[in-house]
Amino acid sequence: MMLTDLTRVLGLWRARSTWLWSGAIVAVLATLAGVALLALAGRGVSEGLRTGALTGIAVGSLLLLRPLIFVRPASRYLERLVTHSATFRALADTRIWFFRRLAERLPGGIGHRGAGDLLGRLVADVEALDGLYLRALVPGVAALAVVVAVAVLLGFAGPGIAVLVALPLALALLLPPLLAPGAARAAGEVAEAQGALRRAAVDPLLGLEDVLAANAEPRAAARLAESGATLAETQKRLARRAAWGGAAGSLLAQSALFAALGYGLAGGPGAVGGTIIGLFLALAAGEALAGLPRAGAALAAAGASARRLFDAADTPPPVAEPTTPAEAPRGHALRAEGVRFAWAADREPVFTELNFDLPEGGRLALLGPSGAGKSTLAALLLKLAAPQEGRLLLGGVDIAELPADAVRARIACLTQDARLFDDSIAANLRLAAPEADDAALWQALDRAGVADVVRVLPEGLATRCGEGGARFSGGQGRRLALARALLAPADILILDEPGAGLDPEAERAFLETLETATAGRSVILIAHRLLGVERPTRILRLIGGRAMAAMG
Amino acid sequence: MSKPPPAEAASARALLSATARQGRSRLARPILLGLASIACGLAQAWFIAHLLAALLGHGSAGWSEFFAAASLALLSIALGVAQERAQAAAGAAARADLRRRAFDRLLEAGPADDRPVGERSGLVVDRIEALDGYFSRWLPAAVLAAAGPLLIACVVAFEDPLSGLILFVAGAMVPVGMAVTGIGAALASRQQFDALQALSGRFLDRMRGLPQLVLFRRQEAEAQALGQAADELRRRTMKVLRVAFLSGLTLEVIAAAVLGCLAWRHGNLLVGGHPDPAAALFCLLMVPGFFAPLRAFSAAYHERMAANGAAAALAPLLAAPDSEPGLQLAEIPPTVVVTFEQVGLTYDPARGPALTDLSFRVMPGEALVLAGPSGSGKSSVLRLLMGFCRPDGGRIALNGRDATALRPEELRRLSSYVGQKAHLFRDSIRANIAMARPEASEAEIEAAARAAHVTDFASSLPEGLDTMIGEGGLGLSGGQAQRVAIARAFLRNRPLVLLDEPTAHLDPATEGELLDSLRRLCAGRTAIIATHSSALRARFGRVLELEKGRAGLPRMAGE
Repeated sequence: MMLTDLTRVLGLWRARSTWLWSGAIVAVLATLAGVALLALAGRGVSEGLRTGALTGIAVGSLLLLRPLIFVRPASRYLERLVTHSATFRALADTRIWFFRRLAERLPGGIGHRGAGDLLGRLVADVEALDGLYLRALVPGVAALAVVVAVAVLLGFAGPGIAVLVALPLALALLLPPLLAPGAARAAGEVAEAQGALRRAAVDPLLGLEDVLAANAEPRAAARLAESGATLAETQKRLARRAAWGGAAGSLLAQSALFAALGYGLAGGPGAVGGTIIGLFLALAAGEALAGLPRAGAALAAAGASARRLFDAADTPPPVAEPTTPAEAPRGHALRAEGVRFAWAADREPVFTELNFDLPEGGRLALLGPSGAGKSTLAALLLKLAAPQEGRLLLGGVDIAELPADAVRARIACLTQDARLFDDSIAANLRLAAPEADDAALWQALDRAGVADVVRVLPEGLATRCGEGGARFSGGQGRRLALARALLAPADILILDEPGAGLDPEAERAFLETLETATAGRSVILIAHRLLGVERPTRILRLIGGRAMAAMG
Repeated sequence: MSKPPPAEAASARALLSATARQGRSRLARPILLGLASIACGLAQAWFIAHLLAALLGHGSAGWSEFFAAASLALLSIALGVAQERAQAAAGAAARADLRRRAFDRLLEAGPADDRPVGERSGLVVDRIEALDGYFSRWLPAAVLAAAGPLLIACVVAFEDPLSGLILFVAGAMVPVGMAVTGIGAALASRQQFDALQALSGRFLDRMRGLPQLVLFRRQEAEAQALGQAADELRRRTMKVLRVAFLSGLTLEVIAAAVLGCLAWRHGNLLVGGHPDPAAALFCLLMVPGFFAPLRAFSAAYHERMAANGAAAALAPLLAAPDSEPGLQLAEIPPTVVVTFEQVGLTYDPARGPALTDLSFRVMPGEALVLAGPSGSGKSSVLRLLMGFCRPDGGRIALNGRDATALRPEELRRLSSYVGQKAHLFRDSIRANIAMARPEASEAEIEAAARAAHVTDFASSLPEGLDTMIGEGGLGLSGGQAQRVAIARAFLRNRPLVLLDEPTAHLDPATEGELLDSLRRLCAGRTAIIATHSSALRARFGRVLELEKGRAGLPRMAGE
C-alpha cells in the first residue's frame, strides 16, 4: 500500500526528474568524497607508522587528500542547494495537482472533512512529502554508493575483510524499509493527532461569536489542551521509535568497525593492510550511513501523508463527466423531465417527479418552504449532483451528456452561501468575468444596489473584503455576491434567495429591477415568498418533491 | 532583505529564554546523557588506537582491549537512546503551556482580531509546533556543541598538544563562522515563515469558497495563482537556504581542513620516527566524534531560526498587556434593564462612526426591535451588549450600573444571543444545542429543541438529535441551522435576549412557526432584536429605526 502510494507520488514528480536526479548524483559525489577524505588520512598515517617512513602508499594517500579538502565541502553545499530546490519544485506541483483534484472531486465544498483539517492536509502533508526525497531517497542512494564503494575497495585487500565490513553496512541499508512500517503507524498517529489539534483550534475560532456567546471559552481551551496532550503523547512514541532505529544503525556501523579490528587481531601481520583500510572505511561509512535510520521514519511519514492526500483526492467525483460529450447546444431553454433525486439512499428524496419548462428569457419563480429542496435544484442544474432518474435538458440536450464546465459556462448562480474571498472587491467580482472592465463592475454593483456603499470607501473597488466578506455587514456582503452573479456572462441566472439579509426596501428595490438587471437572460428565482414586484413569467411551488404550477 | 524591528526580535528572544528557564531541570537531562555518551566514545577510541598501534607493530594490545572497546560502544549507543528520549520529553511541557496562553488570548480578543482564521489557528498549531525544535533539539545541541568538542580537544591535547590545539582552534572557528552566516539566515527565516503563513491563509480562504470558484469556472485560474504563490515561496525559501547552508559549508570546510592538518602534523612527525603512534591514531579516530556534536548543532540551527520566527509572531499575542480586570457578576440577576445614553462607536475612522449618540431604554418584559437598512448599526448595538467591542462615548447601563465595568465574559453571562451567521460545530445536533449550557439535563435540551422546532426536522434524520453535523452544518439547510442556533438561546435561559436577524433565512411559514417560540423566549425577559422582517416587527411592538448609526423617531408598528 505504502509502496504504491509513494510510487504514485514519484509519478506526480516525473516532470522534475532532471532536478531530482541531479540532486541524487551530487549527493553521491559529496558522500564518497567525505568517505575518501577520512579513509585516505587514516591510511596515510597508518601506513607511515607501519613502515616508519613517509613513502609509498603513505605519500600517495596524503597527496590525494589535498583536492578532496576542497571538493568535499563544495559538493556538499551544492548537494543541499540542488536537492532542496528540486524538492520545492516537486512539492509545488503536488500542491497544485491536489487543488485541481479537489476542485474536480469535491466541487460542492468540503463539508464533513472540515476546512481546518483540509488546510492541515494540504500544507502539512504536501510538505511532509519532502522527506521522501530529501531524507529517504537521497541518503539511501548515497549510502548504497558508499556500501558498493567499500565492498569494491576492500575486495582488492581480500574477500574476507570485504565481506566482514561490507555486510553489516549493507544490512544498515535495509533499515529504512524495515523500520518504515512501524514508524508509519506512529507517524500516522501523530498526523491524526495534529489534525485533531488543528480542528480543536479552527472550529471554535470559526464560530468564535457563538463560543463567546455561550461562555464556552474554558471548554474550547480544555479541548485544545487535551488535543495537544494527545499529540505530545504520539510524538513521544514516534521519538522512541526513532531512537531505537538510530541505535540499530549505530550498532551495525560499530559492528563493521569491530569486524575490521577483529580481522586484524585474528589474521596476524598479513591482514594488517586490509585492517587499516577496512577500519577507516568503516569509520567513515558509519558517518555517511548515520542518516539511514531516520530515512525509515521519513519514508513512513511520507507514506502516511501520501495516503491521506490520495484519500481526499480519490473521492469519486459527484457527477462523472460524459465519456463522449455532446456538442454544446445553441439555445438555453431549460426543461426538467421526471427528475427524482435524494442526497443519500437512506435520506428522504428531495424530488420524486419534478417537471418544468423555462423558455429562453423566461423568469421562473420557484417557491417553497425551507428544506423543500429549492437549493437542490440549483445543485442539479450546476452538475454538483446528478438526478437518480429523469433528465434535465439545456437547449434540448441532456446536461448529463455535457461537460460540467460547458454547463457552468451557461448557468451562473448566486448560492445561499455565496462567499466573498479575502481579496479586493474588484478581484471578487472578476471571478465571474475576468475580462470585465471597471465600468462593467460598477454597472453590476449598481444593479445589485451596492454601488453607493463601494463608492464612499476610500479605496473603492480595491477595498479588501476580509475572510468571508467579514469587512462588510451581512446585507452588504450579500449584495456584493449578487453583483458578482449578475456580472457573469451566462445565459441563465439562478438567484437563490437574493433578498436574504437585505432589508425589505432594498430587497423590493432589487426585485423591481430584476428584469433590467438580468438583461433578457433566463432567470430562476428561488425564494420562499414573492413580494409581488418580480413579474415572473412562471411560478412553481415545490410541494412533496413535485413542482406545482401556482398563481402569482 | 527587510530587518525585523529589533524590539520584535528582542521580545521573541525574551519569550524563548523565559520559557527555557521554566523548564530548566527537564532540559538538563539530555545534555548530561549526551556528555556521558561522548566520554564513552573517547574511551572507546583510546582502546581502538592502542589496538591498531599494536597491529602496526607499536606496543602491545589484544582481545581484552577489543572487548573493552566493544562494551564501551554498546554503552555509548544505550546512552544515545536515553538522550533522544529525554530530548523529546523536554519540549512537550513548554509547548503545552505556550499553546494554552496563546489560545486564551485569541479567545479574549474575540471578533476584534480580524486576521483570517487560518492565520490565527496557525499561531496555536504550527507556530507552537515550530518551537518544539528549539527546546528538544537546539538547546541540548547548543550546549553539547560547546562542551563536547571542548572535552575532546582537551583529551586529545593531553595525548598530543599540537593536535589538541588544531581541534581547539577548529572548534572555536565553527561558532564564529556560523554566527557570521547565521545572522542573515535568521532574517530571511522570518520572511519564509510569513510566506508560508500567507499561503496557509490563502488556502483556507479559497478552500472554503471552493464551490464559488468551481461555479464561476475559476478553479484553473486559481490553481495557477496557487502555483505562482508556491513559486514565490520557493524563491524566498531558497534565498534563506543559500545563506543558511553557508553555516553548513563553514563546518564542512573546517572538518576537511582539520583532517588535512592532522594528517600533515602526524605525517611530518613520521619523518623522524613517530614518538607516540597510538596518540596519532587516537587523534584521527576522534575526528568524526569531534564534529558529531557540531553537526548536530548545525542541523538544529535551523530549528532555532524557525523558533525565532515563530516566537516573533507569538510574542505580540502573549506579551499584550492583560486586559483590565473588570468586575465579576456575583449572580445572574432575574431581570435586566438596558439603558443606552448617547452611545457612540467607531470601528475604523476611515469608514465613519457605526453609532452616534444613540439613546434608548428597554425594560424587562419588553422587546425592542432595531430596524433600518443594512450597515445602519443594528448589529453594532448587539455587539456592544455582547462585549465584542466597547463604546467610544456615552454610557451603557444594566440595571443602572455601568456595563463596561464588567468583564466581557461576565457581560455575556447575562444574555442569550443568536448571531447573523450562526456557526454549527463539528458535533451532534444535541451537543451543538447543549453548548449553550453544558450542565443542562437531557430533558431541558429536548425541550429547547422542540421550542425552536429543531425536533421537526431532526426526527426524520437517521439518528435524530445525535446526527453529526459538519463544519458549517453539512446536511442542514440554512433555515435548519438557524433553528439549532435558536434552540441554544432557549436552552441558555438568560434575562437578556439578543437576536440578530433571527429569521433572515426562514420562509414565512417557518418564520410563523418560530414567531410564537420567539415570543415565548422574550416573554418576561429583556429582548433586543435586530431585524428586517416585517412579521417580527408586527409581533413585537416597539421599533427603533436606525439610520447611519443614529436613532430615527421611535414609533409603534403600523404607524
